[in-house]
Amino acid sequence: MTASRPWRLVAARFGRHRLALASLGFLGVLVALSLAAPWIAEWRGVDPTATDLLRRFAAPSAEHWLGTDDLGRDLFQRLLEGGRVSLAVGLAGALLSSIAGALIGVVAGYRGGRLDEILMRLTDGMIALPLLPLLIVLAAIDWRKLGVPAEIAQSESFSLYTIVGIVALTGWTQVARLVRAETLSLKARDFARAARALGATPTHIMWRHILPNTAGALTVATTMSMGGLILFESTLSFLGLGIQPPSASWGNMLTGAQDLLHQAPGLAVWPGLLIFLTVIAFNFLGDGLQDALDPRSERR
Amino acid sequence: MSRVLAVLVALILPFTLTTPARAKDELVVAMTQYPATWNPVIGSMLAKSLIQSMTRRPFTAWDADWKLRCHLCVEVPTLENGRARRVTLEGGKEGLEVDLEIQPAARWGDGVPVSVRDVAFTLEVGKHPLSGVASAEGYRRILAMKPHDDKRFTLTFDRVTFDYSNIDLQLLPAHIDKPVFDADPAEYRNRNRFDTDSTNPGLAHGPYRFVQVVPGSQIVLERNPTWWGPTPHFRRIVVRIVESTAALEANLLSGSVDYVLGELGLTLDQGLLFEKRHGQRFDVVHKPALIYEHIDVNLDNPLLADRRVRQALLMAIDREAISRTLFEGRQPVAHGGVSPLDPMFSPAARQYRHDPAEARRLLDAAGFSELRAGVRHNAKGDRFSIELTTTAGNRVREQVAQVLQSQWRQVGVELRIRAEPPRVFSQGLNRRAFSGLAMYAWVTRPQGVPRSTLHSGEIPSEANGWTGQNYPAYRNAEMDRVLDAMERELDEGRRRALFAEMQRLHAEDLPVLPLFFRVDSFVIPKKLKGVVPTGHVNGSTLSVENWRWVD
Amino acid sequence: MGRWVAARAAGALATLLLMSVVVFGLIGLMPGDPVDLMVAGDPNMTSADAARLRALYGLDRPLHERYLAWAGKALQGELGFSRSFGRPVLEILWPRLGNTLLLAGLAFAIAIVVALPLGMLAARRPGGRVDYLVNLACFAGVSAPPFWLALLMITLFAVALGWLPAGGMGDVPTQASWSDAALIRARHLALPVATLALVQIGHYTRFMRAAMIEALRQDFMRTARAKGVSEARAVWDHAFANALAPVLTVLALSFGGLFSGALITETMFAWPGTGKAIYQAILENDFNLALVGLLIATLATLLGNLLADLAQAWVDPRVSLTAGPGA
Repeated sequence: MTASRPWRLVAARFGRHRLALASLGFLGVLVALSLAAPWIAEWRGVDPTATDLLRRFAAPSAEHWLGTDDLGRDLFQRLLEGGRVSLAVGLAGALLSSIAGALIGVVAGYRGGRLDEILMRLTDGMIALPLLPLLIVLAAIDWRKLGVPAEIAQSESFSLYTIVGIVALTGWTQVARLVRAETLSLKARDFARAARALGATPTHIMWRHILPNTAGALTVATTMSMGGLILFESTLSFLGLGIQPPSASWGNMLTGAQDLLHQAPGLAVWPGLLIFLTVIAFNFLGDGLQDALDPRSERR
Repeated sequence: MSRVLAVLVALILPFTLTTPARAKDELVVAMTQYPATWNPVIGSMLAKSLIQSMTRRPFTAWDADWKLRCHLCVEVPTLENGRARRVTLEGGKEGLEVDLEIQPAARWGDGVPVSVRDVAFTLEVGKHPLSGVASAEGYRRILAMKPHDDKRFTLTFDRVTFDYSNIDLQLLPAHIDKPVFDADPAEYRNRNRFDTDSTNPGLAHGPYRFVQVVPGSQIVLERNPTWWGPTPHFRRIVVRIVESTAALEANLLSGSVDYVLGELGLTLDQGLLFEKRHGQRFDVVHKPALIYEHIDVNLDNPLLADRRVRQALLMAIDREAISRTLFEGRQPVAHGGVSPLDPMFSPAARQYRHDPAEARRLLDAAGFSELRAGVRHNAKGDRFSIELTTTAGNRVREQVAQVLQSQWRQVGVELRIRAEPPRVFSQGLNRRAFSGLAMYAWVTRPQGVPRSTLHSGEIPSEANGWTGQNYPAYRNAEMDRVLDAMERELDEGRRRALFAEMQRLHAEDLPVLPLFFRVDSFVIPKKLKGVVPTGHVNGSTLSVENWRWVD
Repeated sequence: MGRWVAARAAGALATLLLMSVVVFGLIGLMPGDPVDLMVAGDPNMTSADAARLRALYGLDRPLHERYLAWAGKALQGELGFSRSFGRPVLEILWPRLGNTLLLAGLAFAIAIVVALPLGMLAARRPGGRVDYLVNLACFAGVSAPPFWLALLMITLFAVALGWLPAGGMGDVPTQASWSDAALIRARHLALPVATLALVQIGHYTRFMRAAMIEALRQDFMRTARAKGVSEARAVWDHAFANALAPVLTVLALSFGGLFSGALITETMFAWPGTGKAIYQAILENDFNLALVGLLIATLATLLGNLLADLAQAWVDPRVSLTAGPGA
């Protein structure tokens, strides 16, 4: 579908979606700022991890652009640090879930039959689960009981990986359904038939002919899921089961905020606002991409 | 969307009214926890002991002036008044005999007198391996109970300990629960009447009894007609469970709750805020409790084995500043495990002030003199980087940890913080699985001997089945000797001297870095009188009969 | 029909069974056990005490044995005791189920009442100004973290304005009149219901809008217009009925999820419902309560799926109830 479409047309269609364009700009700035966080900290001369008890809840100033938090740390810099984590988890989780979803979807769609039925039952089954509490259990499990060495299980990077894995678990079903549907229609098309007639192996056809043709749909699905996954990470971190302090994530920056509503309502606003804006930006972006890549949705 | 908002606002506006005034003889209190069981013998929990102090009384308890007082007994047993005696047990060991007499007027709420049968039954449950009693040690130490008549009996203890006078035994009503227990001891923890028939009047002998229990949300108490003490002022007390402290605060302000139990209620932050904003409506009492916030040091870690290093770490922390800024100076700095309020506190033991220069000098002297990228190294090239584990979800502790990280960095010590959920944390502690430092709190008792935390025989290990709470693995023969002597020393003056020696040794060696004593914030409405914070395990509800409204 | 029901019931049972195994396994992998927490809360407990209690609660046995023991009792109707309440789990869960139903049901009803007309409104002129605004609002609703929404609500309405309580269910005095009681409940429900509803409104409106646009493009609309049926009637009789089928499915599917989905809202507003109970049980190692709570939540979702199928069959007679995949 999309392989033959000229990119210029896609770009033009995307360009008409003003919200998506604005979102792309916003996310670009956010990613750039997050990546540059260490240099920004150096340039501003603030250390996001340095506590200063004499400057708790400081008001915004030239030194602390958004003021300080309950331990006197620079809020702006902490937000950037949190952005690094939240964006990285969202991105990695979305990629992981798209890869898993695409593989399952294409195999189910191409092979069909019993395998398809089992895989699709599995996807349906996922929907019937009380997902949030289950993932809370999952986030709380002790990996040492599964034989993971203590040093690894307790390291900071490991907890990051598990969160990525957990959020990816929530995202793959939709991708799988989408890719399966695409595969079913692509399988019947001429180029796939031709390849089969020429004796190509199923793996080859799936890998070289079908998957590349689902790229457009896959891009849309990945972008769309990104927002949801960031939302999920922030929820887990907010509940104290995701990213652990002193590492900052937008979710865990809000953990104590409920107790501080009287003293510093601002602390509850900024991290939440960033989650909100980031998620909505990914959703708009996904919407714009869908309009640009999927002709069926052309209704404007 | 705006229409939706308009509708919402229209819906909300009429709700902005205040709650109706309550009857004068009724009190609504709130706390943040609901106990796992109402049975006084199975398990120990602050929520339970607070509420049960309204419905039942132990034999003895500490009062607000930290004096031991009789509740269910007639006179506190001491060697001096002859109600306690040293005896030689079979096998030649020394033990104690204690005579007790139950209040003659004490009756259960259904009129049955409290008697030695209840004592016998309670001991039977306490010692039974299948009864589900959490800590059985106290019962195991009682070798025998000899009844003299319905109200008088003698207990024989298997050892001589200075705290023999403190009999905190809570009685079970034999006439109600014995048949349940006899039917199936292993099921007693589920079928006992305290949990299955909580409002049975026969379960209470205190000033109040339960009339309604809604698990997890509310308990209603009314006066117990068989109570032998002064008639309580309130006819009815409603205890509401509100788990979120934010909601607790809102309820208090709106008047739907009169008073939040200080021992299990508002945080210090909230208490401070109430003081500032609503000082005209509430009296706020910040009472230091026997909750000792400290850091256990793993002495097996080579970086921390040198005493000078530990002293340097303590001197590098500005505890006064932390208390001043995080707790507005309300949370007193601890100099050891013994509270300054405790009669056994010794001011002579060394106290450490914030002195980063001295800390640096001590670290240099201990061999960590080379700074590489701001972190100290010793001649062997070991980097002074340690890990601090603490409980996740405790905001104050997480805050303190991050301040420590920043203050230690100033003297060239790198701190890595790991916050663990409480269950992981306690498991790791029990197995001594922390590599450097562990920050948490002990709940101590007045004049308690810290044997289990400082004696070298109490170091948990595989070999002893992980018994003991000396997590730092502190070994000091002199300390062992002092601890052994303290427990057996019945003379108060000599015991005080031993306590002073114990505190001196502790302050020199610092196997534990003392931080603070936690503060309970009692936010008491001005009109409510008679609530007296105690600052120890026997909470303010032990004098609930004195609580009253005053205009 | 009979076969269909039987197949569905069998599927549901299998799901529940699988779920109980998975959850039991996961819970077994959680750090510590109930006794660890007891030790942490009681300095007088010795390790001997801990070992005795572990044996008593059967925690020293391997996980599969414990599961079989639990399952055996569960089949006889004994679902076990809650550790943190000391009561049978159902006794704890029933009243909370009612509270959740009240909260989630109200939010659900409000969301539907708002979302369906809003979606239709937007669908009337796709790409128009109204559509644009509705779309924007929907995206906002879907993208706001529920816990942050709750924080904002509390900050604004409870802390800053002081209009509404920040949490809890409110206490209804025994002598209160019916209207007073309702008022007290309503005041406490207002913020959590609003939080829960806002997110759902976003989702449902988008579904309604999409379904409606799809339906309006169908051939029968052209036919109806050609036949001279008035635009309003065409929209109502044909398009709406056609759009309703997929929307009803989505609604029914999401209703089951409300039970556990209200977890965040209930926790934030201290509303004593099932979601909050499950969450706390997980945190406090109350294995039985967490397990049974999760099973009930699963059951609710399965019921939602069943409702979805029934709704579809009712709205769209072309769908027949046959035992097919998706049970």
